[in-house]
Amino acid sequence: MAPETRPRGFAREIADLVGAVGRAMKVTFINFVRKPVTVHYPDVQRAYPDRFRGVLALVYDKETGEEACIGCRLCEYICPPQVIKVEMLKAEKRNFAKTFTLELYACEFCELCVQVCPTDAIVMMKSFDVATADRRELLFDKDRLHAVGLQFPQSWATGNLLRDMQSPPKAAKAEAAPGKAAGGPE
Amino acid sequence: MPAPLYYFIVGFIVLNAVIGMVTYVTLLERKFAARMQSRIGPYRVGPHGLLQPIADAVKLMMKEDVVPTLADRHVYNLAPIVFLIPCMLIFATVPFAPGLGVADLNIGILFFLAVSAMEIVGLFMAGWGSNNKYALLSAMRAVNQIISYDLPFIFAALVPVVLAGSLRLSDIAQAQVGFFGAFIFYPVIGQLAFIAYIVTTLAAENRVPFDILEAESELVAGFRVEYSGMKFALIQLGEYAHAIGTSFLGALLFFGAWSGPGPAWLGPLWFLLKAMAVFLLITWVRWSFVRIRVDQILAISWKLMLPASLLLLMATATWVAWSASGA
Amino acid sequence: MSDPEARKVVELGYGGSERLTMNMGPQHPSAHGVFRAILILEGETVAGVDAVIGYLHRCHEKLGESLTYTQYPSIASKTDYVAAMTSELAYVRAAELVGKVEVPKRAQYLRVMVAELQRVASHCLWLGTWCLDMGGALGGGATVFLYCIRERESVLDLFEALVGARLLYGFHQVGGTRYDIPAGWAEKCRQTVAAIDKRIDEYEDMLEGNAFFLARTQGVGVISRELAQEVGISGPLIRGSGVAYDVRRAEPYSSYEDFDFKVPVETAGDCYARYRVRMQEFRESIKIVRQALDGLPEGPISSRPGVKSVGQVRVAKGEGYARVEGARGEVGCYLVADGGAKPYRMKWRGASFSNLSVLHHIIPGHKVADVVAIMGSVDPVFGEVDR
Repeated sequence: MAPETRPRGFAREIADLVGAVGRAMKVTFINFVRKPVTVHYPDVQRAYPDRFRGVLALVYDKETGEEACIGCRLCEYICPPQVIKVEMLKAEKRNFAKTFTLELYACEFCELCVQVCPTDAIVMMKSFDVATADRRELLFDKDRLHAVGLQFPQSWATGNLLRDMQSPPKAAKAEAAPGKAAGGPE
Repeated sequence: MPAPLYYFIVGFIVLNAVIGMVTYVTLLERKFAARMQSRIGPYRVGPHGLLQPIADAVKLMMKEDVVPTLADRHVYNLAPIVFLIPCMLIFATVPFAPGLGVADLNIGILFFLAVSAMEIVGLFMAGWGSNNKYALLSAMRAVNQIISYDLPFIFAALVPVVLAGSLRLSDIAQAQVGFFGAFIFYPVIGQLAFIAYIVTTLAAENRVPFDILEAESELVAGFRVEYSGMKFALIQLGEYAHAIGTSFLGALLFFGAWSGPGPAWLGPLWFLLKAMAVFLLITWVRWSFVRIRVDQILAISWKLMLPASLLLLMATATWVAWSASGA
Repeated sequence: MSDPEARKVVELGYGGSERLTMNMGPQHPSAHGVFRAILILEGETVAGVDAVIGYLHRCHEKLGESLTYTQYPSIASKTDYVAAMTSELAYVRAAELVGKVEVPKRAQYLRVMVAELQRVASHCLWLGTWCLDMGGALGGGATVFLYCIRERESVLDLFEALVGARLLYGFHQVGGTRYDIPAGWAEKCRQTVAAIDKRIDEYEDMLEGNAFFLARTQGVGVISRELAQEVGISGPLIRGSGVAYDVRRAEPYSSYEDFDFKVPVETAGDCYARYRVRMQEFRESIKIVRQALDGLPEGPISSRPGVKSVGQVRVAKGEGYARVEGARGEVGCYLVADGGAKPYRMKWRGASFSNLSVLHHIIPGHKVADVVAIMGSVDPVFGEVDR
């Protein structure tokens, strides 16, 4: 603010200041009359997208109704924080999982276990709401995992669907290619 | 009834009313600020959050009173009280209706301005007694800032005094009788004085954009950082009481206090509404701007506000003298 | 320079020379994470700053040696957790560089799109927290913060529809991406981006020309051009000081050469210049997202089959350094592979770590209030700094 231009400079500055103050207060006023964006959770649930990565669960086979998990332990090996522990139970036609524990309090929700499962046994649900006051309740055993699988709606992603989405199309998948190229399911 | 008893009762009522108003004004501010930020303020405690201030008060009363080991005990403990008393005392001179007030002194506004400046002592005691560098830094900035802004504050508040010709607050309000008699409608002088009043009030009450001394993001609550529980509640009470007090003063000086359409007994209600309007204006400014640095605040005060308000006062005085002699 | 006497933090602080040692500790509302700055003050002016980091060290580089190429990308997002997409991209590109893996065109366009959306989201957070630091948690800063978070939420909703997660994605894999865009996402993306474009006009209205804002940011924290080139900063910091260096132009990766965008450069070097650079980057990123959506080619999203087992990806012996332009600067990953399923050694070049080294050159001489303004304009994320 050079002294020789002070009269005009000063008035100009004051005018700028008033303009800036007015603009800032106008923006806050506009937001004052806008509708708030608050969602009144938990009275109102937010609509979760199809691919929401929520709580993990084990599911049953759609046709036979048996447990889909064959105890192959691929999910245990790929889990980055190593929260899954599986013991296989051998039987005549197919294998089962004797015990399946998942430490949900340490889970990263990265969906890698879902991705590798060959039988689409482990999936993620469209909910994360298993809050509890005791961490031990978040150490899911097989029964709890199956119960969770029946309790919440399931997300879109299963192992086979994810792998199909990622793999380059081969000749055998040519008939499915138009659907895939258009960009995945709804 | 004997005069001391009358004044005691009226004072008691006013004090409790002020405390009640302060707690609900926090809710008003929170909801107003929330709406400006695309959200809803307190909502779940009581219908639309109406019981939130009570919940806050109960919480603060139940909190443990933590005193730092090396704090200067007497200074630390006395500071909230020394801070609170001037902030409450200013309501003594405010007339809520013609003749209705605790003490309508004939130097009313002088008392108000002088006493409201005394909160600095309590503030500095809080900062010093806490044995905390953040508090100390904040207290030193506070002394700087509030003292610098008290002068323009006084000059801006003196403009309506000069226009009304009296220091008594009810006289100033009487001089604005009628809807368009409010001093804010005075050509040029009224509006400029009001703007100066608002700006200096923001600074004297440590509100953004001048809240450098409680800058939450740098000094983490400034001089209040070591206070918890009821002492913190007293400091909060004092701050908001001061804010409302200056809002009432602004409504009285510039908007004509109790004048408004309708019967005379609606007067206090109009006064309250106008004071809340001034308070909301201050709140609107508060939630729209970032704060400025302390050296810039002091520069604004000494280089801009003080000369400007002094000039304004002299212009007002000249105008009043000229119109009195000419007309 | 920092005072050697100040190494001991004295209780009452007056070390005999009118200097006060104040700790802006790891727990601080505006430390942008866990960062300890020991400030040596003379009155209100900072005479020296001593930075202490390491509070968020989580052994990422060791994790990189014990996790395979299929497992680590979702962990990589946790370095720069505010701009997770670009962090993962650095690791995955390093593996692809060393393993000479081709990435299909569609995957490259998807990567560009999510990287630019992530830049928009990250800059929203930057603007919000910076104004919060400068304006106070109860005040105008909080207002701008909530507006920016509101915009960021719409971008995060897009990511949620795409990936399923809002903050830490696991979107990339060696060879491409893991997810393709669902039906209806492109339209939603266009709408979101258009809405954000308009809202940025509002923020500029609120802040540009605002005397308070300009007084806080102009002339504060000036990084001269020479200092910028000496110290090794990158990203909006170096572009705010007049050096037009952007990894997307210097070493184009992932089809960035197909896109038409400007690299904003300002010469003043102060906080305001960096602010202007980031505000212009908003617009440029939105332009790139629109171009990517318009020109998205058909094809697979990964050149490798989907991950079926943990040791599926093996990278042949070799080493290489891949870098991306993250929201904060150049994020790089140096990978030494030995033919197995896990890297032999992986080193992160954190953008914020190098950016923080400029602090002790520019902070001394400013007031305490400027320290937060400068820290905010440097925009560190301590996941990147401490790894």
